[in-house]
Amino acid sequence: MKISFLIFFSFLFILLLFSITTYINFQQSEEVSENSKWVDQSTTIIRNSNRFQRNILNMISGLRGYLFTSENYFIQAYDSAKAENETILSELTALIPPRTAQATLLGEIRNINDNWLNDFSTPLIEAKKLADDSDSTLISFNKLYREKLTQGTERYLNRQLQEKIRVFINNEYNSRDERTQILDQSVRRTRAISFVLTTLSIIVGSIISIFLAYRISTRIMLMVKMANEIAGGNYEVYTKDSGRDELSNLAHSLNNMAQVLKENITLLKRKNQELDQFAHIVSHDLKAPLRGIDNVVSWIEEDHSAEMSPKLIEYIHIIKGRLLRAENLIHGILSYARIGKETQEKEDVDLNQLVDEIGESLTMKSGIKILVYPKLPKLFTEKVPLEQVFSNLIGNAVKHHDKKNGVIKIYHKEYLQHYEFFVEDNGPGIGKNYHNKIFVIFQTLQERDTLESTGVGLAIVKKILDDRNQKIHITSDAGTGAIFSFTWPK
Amino acid sequence: MDKVVNILLVEDDNLDVIDVRRSLDKMGILNNMTVAKNGEDALALLNSKTKSHEADLDIALIDINMPKMNGLEFLSTIRKMDEWKDLKCFIITTSDEKVDRMAAKELGISGYIVKPLKLNNPSSMDAFNLMIDLMNFKSKI
Repeated sequence: MKISFLIFFSFLFILLLFSITTYINFQQSEEVSENSKWVDQSTTIIRNSNRFQRNILNMISGLRGYLFTSENYFIQAYDSAKAENETILSELTALIPPRTAQATLLGEIRNINDNWLNDFSTPLIEAKKLADDSDSTLISFNKLYREKLTQGTERYLNRQLQEKIRVFINNEYNSRDERTQILDQSVRRTRAISFVLTTLSIIVGSIISIFLAYRISTRIMLMVKMANEIAGGNYEVYTKDSGRDELSNLAHSLNNMAQVLKENITLLKRKNQELDQFAHIVSHDLKAPLRGIDNVVSWIEEDHSAEMSPKLIEYIHIIKGRLLRAENLIHGILSYARIGKETQEKEDVDLNQLVDEIGESLTMKSGIKILVYPKLPKLFTEKVPLEQVFSNLIGNAVKHHDKKNGVIKIYHKEYLQHYEFFVEDNGPGIGKNYHNKIFVIFQTLQERDTLESTGVGLAIVKKILDDRNQKIHITSDAGTGAIFSFTWPK
Repeated sequence: MDKVVNILLVEDDNLDVIDVRRSLDKMGILNNMTVAKNGEDALALLNSKTKSHEADLDIALIDINMPKMNGLEFLSTIRKMDEWKDLKCFIITTSDEKVDRMAAKELGISGYIVKPLKLNNPSSMDAFNLMIDLMNFKSKI
């Protein structure tokens, strides 16, 4: 299976697991909230019932007090309790689900209450209010009083009412206790289920993630190791990956790359070797006949100078000039071929001293001065190639100088990773159309016989800098002098 | 009385033969020089000398790079020959390689001369002067 699919399905699975957990948690919390709502409702019912019971007592004592004392105070207490009980009754009716035992009981309570109110308390109160108006009303009150209160029916109704309310409240208490227990249970169950599901999700998710990470990272690490080996120059590496996914494709590509690199590098090494041998053989084989000619010319000069005509002496001089040039060319080829062959040790280099030494070693035309400002840095670097670069650039500036008061300025700029060095002269300069030619080997802009110029110096400079990924730049035009600048790593 | 020095020069390059001859003349060494073009020819020459009991060579100058049998092979061959193993031999070559120097030294040479024979080439002149001293000593007996 492809890795992208594997990752996709794994995350989908983990997501699904968490969704289920969340859904079940939600369901459980619904149950808890329903139960707790129920318990709240029960509590309200109980509180209302208690108040109802207290109000009944208030009404009974209010009725009695008024009948005995005719004080309005009692009738007010009676009225407010009655009004409140009406509200409570309608509230309770709304709270209690219909067609239950409690609803029936509440109906009975309401009936008894209505009965007491309609048959006893209300007519007695009305009669009492009129009793003081005349003798006849007093008589009718007294008669009513005897009828209603002294026979004991009213007291029986009251007791019955109290009893029903007590039962009602007790029922409600019991069912509330039951519900509270259910609530506790559902809370506990919800917690347990949540805990188990969440833990399970985390564990399964972690296992899947670790498995994925392990499966991917071990293989990637193998390939990183291989890539590092290749970068370090070891092409005899191979990554075995029997999977059938993107990483296997990558491993396959890496193996291919290593193989192709190995072939190319071997070829390149062989070609380089051949080129080295070629340069060596060519220069050696060329040297021998040159040396022979040189020998013969020197014998002629040493042994037969007395017999030579001025023309012959001139021709001999020309031959010697050409010999020197051929030797320089061979020497140039060998130096060019040798660059980069020998590994250079790094050492502490004081560039001021180095440039001084180069200046001293060059045969200076009179009037040419080398100015170094500001002081050059001290580096820990490969001395020989850097010396070759400076020596060739300064040497060129000296060799080609055409003015009486020649000045060669050497300065530098410092950057984060590297230095840039400048060799500036006020010599003849180099026309812009030649700038791309000067770094090519054996290119020289001077006529061959005017200077000992082989056209190797700048090619060597370029090759040394190219080998180190450094840049060289020329700013010049005919007649304006030249500035060669090159970078060198810190 | 000056004595004539008998020299064997094993050298394939005619120019170098002239060079050696000219240098010896300039130094005033009276010599009788036999030239062989390569190691094989030189060996044949030595064998014929052995047969006719003419062990009259004073010194041998041997080039290294030659066709058929090179100088070092020739040198190691005569070091095994009873008649010639003590012959004073000088290497005279264009090769300034360390390998050649070491190989020649192990074969018991008296000096290593680097061609061309020029005053501005001290490494060639030191050994050449040593050779001349040796010849002068011989020729003044």
